[in-house]
Amino acid sequence: MSLLDGHVVVVGLGFGDEGKGAVVDALCAGLPTTAVVRFNGGAQAAHNVVVDGRHHTFSQFGAGTFAGVPTHLSRFVLVEPFALAAEARRLEAAGVRNPLSLLSIDGRALLTTPFHIHANRAREEARGVNRHGSCGKGIGETVWYSLLPGAAPGDVVESQEVIGTPGEAPTVADCARPSVLRRKLDALARFYAPLATPPHSVDELVALYRDFAGAVRITDGDETGRLADSGRLVFEGAQGALLDQYHGFHPHTTWSTTTPHNARALLGGRPHTVMGVTRTYLTRHGAGPLPTESAAVLARFPEAHNETGEFQGAWRAGHLDAALLDYAIAACDGVDALAVTHLDATGLKVVPRDGSAAVDLPDPLAWFGARLPVAVMGYGPDRAGYRVAEARSTINA
Amino acid sequence: MGHGHWDDNAYAAAKTFRRAKGEDDFGYTADLRSKPAKDWKVAPALDPLNAVRECRDSADHTDSTPIAVLFDVTGSMRRVPRVMQGKLGKLHGLLKRRGYLADPQVMFGAIGDADSDRVPLQVGQFESDNRMDEQLRTIFLEGGGGGQKSESYELAAYFMARHVVTDAWQNRGRKGYLFIIGDELNKPALEARHIRRVIGDEVREDIDPASVYRELARKWHVFFVLPNQSSYYNDPEIGEHWSGLLGQNFLKLDDPGAVCELIAATIGLEERVVDVDRALADLADVGSAAESKAVGKALAKLGTKTVVTSAVPEAEGPSDVVLR
Repeated sequence: MSLLDGHVVVVGLGFGDEGKGAVVDALCAGLPTTAVVRFNGGAQAAHNVVVDGRHHTFSQFGAGTFAGVPTHLSRFVLVEPFALAAEARRLEAAGVRNPLSLLSIDGRALLTTPFHIHANRAREEARGVNRHGSCGKGIGETVWYSLLPGAAPGDVVESQEVIGTPGEAPTVADCARPSVLRRKLDALARFYAPLATPPHSVDELVALYRDFAGAVRITDGDETGRLADSGRLVFEGAQGALLDQYHGFHPHTTWSTTTPHNARALLGGRPHTVMGVTRTYLTRHGAGPLPTESAAVLARFPEAHNETGEFQGAWRAGHLDAALLDYAIAACDGVDALAVTHLDATGLKVVPRDGSAAVDLPDPLAWFGARLPVAVMGYGPDRAGYRVAEARSTINA
Repeated sequence: MGHGHWDDNAYAAAKTFRRAKGEDDFGYTADLRSKPAKDWKVAPALDPLNAVRECRDSADHTDSTPIAVLFDVTGSMRRVPRVMQGKLGKLHGLLKRRGYLADPQVMFGAIGDADSDRVPLQVGQFESDNRMDEQLRTIFLEGGGGGQKSESYELAAYFMARHVVTDAWQNRGRKGYLFIIGDELNKPALEARHIRRVIGDEVREDIDPASVYRELARKWHVFFVLPNQSSYYNDPEIGEHWSGLLGQNFLKLDDPGAVCELIAATIGLEERVVDVDRALADLADVGSAAESKAVGKALAKLGTKTVVTSAVPEAEGPSDVVLR
């Protein structure tokens, strides 16, 4: 049996932007797939997929959408309805009919609201030159607020002072329960009033979120398990292992488990393949370490779909870094296969050991293949440039 | 009323979710249409009976300017509210972002035929946030009309003259903006029985429509927009009738899809924030290049007129409605 016939967990081995979106799309286009399951992150994800000239930057929708595969947002995902609606409109413009009907969401998923977003931006702006490279989409704030019940004003939770009396964090299931939602949003508004006030009234949000709850399928219980038993799932990770909340380099991390651990929890012991995704060089957005950073690499590989974010900061690039790659794989407790993207890049170099000089890398595929089986090879942005290999696992087959 | 902020993003999101649910943007109309005609009635929030509408300043909006948009909802005119609904975000955004007005507050209403319609007049409330959208969606598009080339515009004008209170006028002597969008004539007389039944005022004698518009013009810049979609677009009688009442403020609009843009540009001109060229460039910037051509044509005569600044009026002057 091929490595890729069963459930596949796609995880980035860099600082994000490894090409997870294109790999998920290629996997979904290659074999019948029941659903793409998102297992971390939220609206800050930006996974570019190009198919036959159609392009979309997938954020909350799964990157299997162009392949016609539905998306399930698991309980580990943070859901932001405003951005979701905007993304649905962009998908419609790209030819996807009624995209919201392709979506199901675990009711336990946390809701990212304008309160979180405005607080996130206020904090990041106050940091000035010491910015963390946040996307300004309220992700960290959503997680932080969910940790607060029981805390009192003045307490310090995860090195941040509690500025008011917190309430329970709103979830997607609350959107269908206006009285519960109103209570939680009132508490959120009061809590964040000293930091930032969004332009929306609670009334307006309650009405909007009720429309949202009516437009998507909200699930309870073990929906991922049910889906997994009915067919093949592709788990789409957001960000990369080097930004992981436990394994990344603080404070330049995302408040999310970017390693396969959430996906494994959702699979509940079902067999699966973990596929690490890497470019043939390293990239990252905004602040934080990038030991092999090189202006020459940045100049050689301009990005079509990545640009400087107002809150996130500049797009950066560097040579492959063997030590970081091995570190990322270890943070994932090992991976079963690799997907290598940007194989069309030439003049590559690698830093083979920590602190040594970069050396030429004439055959990147062989270099990666010497470490692990390479199951997906990507030569270009379009799906047509991706080859899904009949790789055989040495571990899980 | 008058609190909160319009947010294009929230408006668009709500619309997206409703469409995904299969809900009509005019849900109230869809609901009523599934019932027998005898049960058709105005939504309580839009009922003019014994009602007063207010446009007040608030802490958020200290310089409110009322904008009332009343459209004929008979027959073919039903496309106009749908166009408005689709472009509402653009109207409010344009007024605010381009600095045409600091604190626009928008009210929507609908005009039918008091002789033959079950719901001849609907008037919402002045709103500055996304409740505008809700109000518009609650308007009942009855689609009736009598076929006698006249609708009850004068009944709507009477309501605007007598039942609307604005801080802009009372505190600052500033006129509001009223746009009537239609394609027919006023009734020959504003009938007392219609005022009593629809608005609730104890009026005993019929009123000359011209006197209603004279009173209205003291507190409002009144415009009549004739969009090109009816058989009356080129009927000289319509133009003569409305020009007689409103002078240059009778505007013919080639493209009914540009009604939102026309309103924004007209206000920009009237406020003397922009000239015609600038207004059209602003429209092009927000992606209305096609519409801006139609708007340019409609505004040609407004752009050349001399704007006369009226003396600050007495806040509560005598009414000049003539009973006959």
